[in-house]
Amino acid sequence: MAGRLSRRLALTVPLSLLSASSRAFAFGDGAAFHPRLLRAGTRQILGLRTSGAGRWSWELVRRTSAPARLVPSEVAADQSSLQAEPFVIWAGDDDPGPLSAAEVRGLTRFIRLGGVLVVDDSQPDSGAFGRGALRELSRVLPESAPVRLDPSHVIFKTFYIVDRPVGRVLGPPEIRAIVRGKNAQVIFLQHDLLGALARSGERFALATEPGGVEQREHAIRLAVNIAMYVLCSDYKDDQVHAPFLMRRRARQKP
Amino acid sequence: MTLAALSLAEGVPQLTLFAVLALALACLGFLGFELRKREGAVGWVLLSGLLALLLVAAAVLRPARVNTRGVSVGAKVVVLVDQSRRLLLPSEGKTRRELALRAADAVSKHFAGARVELRGFGTGELRPLVVADALAHESPAELSDESDLSGALNALAQEPGERPKAIVVVSDGRFTRPGATQDDASLRELAATVGAPIHIVAVTEQAPRDASIRSIRTSGASVAHQALALTIEIGCGGGLACGEVPVTARELRQGVEPFVLASGVAKMTGETATVELSITLERAGARLVEVSIEPPEGDTIPENNRRILSFSVTRDRLRLLHVAGRPTYDVRALRMWLKSDESIDLIAFFILRTDEDNTETNEDSELALIPFPVDELFTEHLPSFDAVILQDIDAVQYKLLRHLPALANYVRGGGGLIMVGGPSAFAGGGYARSPLESVLPVELGGGEPFDTADFVPRYTEAGRSAPVLRGLTELFADELPTFTGSNTLGAARPNAITLWEHPDRRAGRGPMPVLALGESGDGRSIALGVDGTHALAFSEFADRAAGRAYGALWDGLVGWLMRDPRYEALRLELAGPCIAGLPAKLRLVRLPGATGDVSLQLTRLGPQRTPVLTKTVKEPAPGPLELELGALEVGGYSASARVGAAPPTRFDFACERGGPAWSDSRPDPERLSRIAKASAGRAVSAAQVNELPVPDPIEVAAERSHVPLLPAWAWTLAASLALGGHWYARRRQGLL
Repeated sequence: MAGRLSRRLALTVPLSLLSASSRAFAFGDGAAFHPRLLRAGTRQILGLRTSGAGRWSWELVRRTSAPARLVPSEVAADQSSLQAEPFVIWAGDDDPGPLSAAEVRGLTRFIRLGGVLVVDDSQPDSGAFGRGALRELSRVLPESAPVRLDPSHVIFKTFYIVDRPVGRVLGPPEIRAIVRGKNAQVIFLQHDLLGALARSGERFALATEPGGVEQREHAIRLAVNIAMYVLCSDYKDDQVHAPFLMRRRARQKP
Repeated sequence: MTLAALSLAEGVPQLTLFAVLALALACLGFLGFELRKREGAVGWVLLSGLLALLLVAAAVLRPARVNTRGVSVGAKVVVLVDQSRRLLLPSEGKTRRELALRAADAVSKHFAGARVELRGFGTGELRPLVVADALAHESPAELSDESDLSGALNALAQEPGERPKAIVVVSDGRFTRPGATQDDASLRELAATVGAPIHIVAVTEQAPRDASIRSIRTSGASVAHQALALTIEIGCGGGLACGEVPVTARELRQGVEPFVLASGVAKMTGETATVELSITLERAGARLVEVSIEPPEGDTIPENNRRILSFSVTRDRLRLLHVAGRPTYDVRALRMWLKSDESIDLIAFFILRTDEDNTETNEDSELALIPFPVDELFTEHLPSFDAVILQDIDAVQYKLLRHLPALANYVRGGGGLIMVGGPSAFAGGGYARSPLESVLPVELGGGEPFDTADFVPRYTEAGRSAPVLRGLTELFADELPTFTGSNTLGAARPNAITLWEHPDRRAGRGPMPVLALGESGDGRSIALGVDGTHALAFSEFADRAAGRAYGALWDGLVGWLMRDPRYEALRLELAGPCIAGLPAKLRLVRLPGATGDVSLQLTRLGPQRTPVLTKTVKEPAPGPLELELGALEVGGYSASARVGAAPPTRFDFACERGGPAWSDSRPDPERLSRIAKASAGRAVSAAQVNELPVPDPIEVAAERSHVPLLPAWAWTLAASLALGGHWYARRRQGLL
């Protein structure tokens, strides 16, 4: 395992460290999963959660065959570089306030090109960020409202079989998303996923409550599934996988 | 010849004649009424009355004598000689055609007193025929596969001018129309269209000892991957004992031996037997299927023991196998594009976990993963795919190596292959010096398997003119996004085309290909040495065209791979049927904008790879171009033509010796007799031509004179005197 992991890390880490935001990647790295943090509206203080994006990549590389860039970057909604890659995370703990017209335009183009945006509420108890983000995104996609993703949605089986979403907090047992066509393009999480992944030195920065270690593992699995959803879209909905997954779900639920 | 006749004066209308006759009859009736009870010399009254009536009528009508002088000419006789290729069948040491031409000559001599027109008929149209010229060309190219007498008779009936008094048909009777099952009533109707007796000269009545494929029928359309039933009728004629006749259907492919699709045995109970073979053509496009029989000993016509059929195989849906070594944004973009196309049936397998990955699970049931069914995919299911996309997958690590020979054969057999770049593609994935390398459009060199430097690929001249990239160039002209790194590709193989090249890296003597297209056997392959085309779907660059450039590129690549005519620079077709031994021509139609030299390479389908013909036409004028292929042998051929630097276009076709015309070698004297009988004509053999009835000659007027019997005043005077006499007779009888 170490050999394979080190090879992929060798592909991704050094050059990413050299320049997290430039295009000077290694071959294969330009197509690698890259969780970028979105700046839009009022600037959010993410603190240690910024490291959660890097950990997201690290877990993806450790657990799956997918390559990822380990050092996260930030991108502003009104920058054209938002359109450089199809994935971005918008996290925060307070109402982001109204988005500027340029930010709305940028996000609109991002979504219309097919990008995936994860809205991660760092303080689900207050829900201020989630509500504010939903309000602003309704300006970006006025014709689309979020819907609850069915438990059979592919996002719950892109790599792990996940029964319910969790993050730093247990949160609601569902994921809501804005679905365009067949794709869930804006995913609303009320579980502080980045909080569950955040690191402080060699340790996880924030406790996962109430489930502890097991809950963190499930949070990581959800993060891996979201990454795989971004990379493979509805691959696991293909007919060829259906009988296997049905049998496995049946075994898990006595 | 001189003829004389009586007539009325010129210029007297018919109405006047009827009026005079009516008046005369009325007068006679009145006279008879007057004389009915009279006695004495009433006879004088009646006689003088009649005379007066006649002379008054003559004074009005003024009769004249008409003298006619004319000549006698022979009747028009049309001799229709069967010009079907079937008449090249041997008979009595000659060909039926030679016998037919000699019989036509004999007919001309027999009808020496008539005006004989010799015409040839085949597909319905009539052509003048000169026996001596026709005898000098043993197998002229203008002979047709059909023998349409009905069409010929209808064409004759519609010709303006003099109708023939007799028609003589010279044939063996195995017409396409009228068919063998046509009833007598419809034959009479056909004969009535020309309004003349149809005499028949049968060139032969002896069926050769021959086993043949009489007909091949298919039920339904030919769709890739779906079974198609061939109903094959085998015939045995001339007293040949056939018993059981093995039948085989093979697909002719380039570079490999014919592939056996199905075989069976026709059990002959009478003269014919039918066998049904179910074949499945896996590849869409023009496919050639050879159906052959093993004839019994004594078969005298081997040319009709096999037929080569051309099938235009369509697709229900394009069935693609997409295999990716790891999930990336590039994989995502390709999958989303493939899934968005309803005409594509996508089977995808992505390697999501390797043995080295730590999933932190106690058991696999926590994972939504299934084993990669590599053996099943590349053995059992491989033929069912129209194309395979290998995207950044390591052949060594994922146990693909052992299946690469089969995958290479799949491509040579007509499958499509796209290898998409990434660290584990091409040489980086262990494909160098593997069997698959030989079917890729590029060589895979040694050294570092990839380079990490950013670059912008450059269009080659072929890339700029290739229809496959037209969609992309229409959006961005020559502009391309920056790609991060490139696979190390060798030089393009012969007959491969480089569309994009690296601006800095070299392969052999030229720039390194980045995107190349090639043909291998019956299949096509594409090498794309980057893993960043997703930048055409999602990037700042892509945003300028709202992401449409990605679809434009891949529409072209997959379309070209599947031989979609929209992405070919040329359209090829045969200018007429290809008959073995006769000169054949190929027509090339270039797309607008396709300029440059036109080169053609003709290869025989099968294991032989040496071209039978190569040609180049320097800068031909715009418009369709016809290229002489010369006289080809029996078999399937693949013509690969190229205009300028654009990728070549391929066209497969078959050449047969006898073709459908020779499928049934038996003459049909009975049908000939029925046609003759239906038109009141006679049916004779070639030796009995002298027994045909010669139609009477036609008299044609040359001079006509019109002389009055008496001048008008004489008729008037005579009528007056006669009326006076009649008046006198009536006075004597007291009738005034």
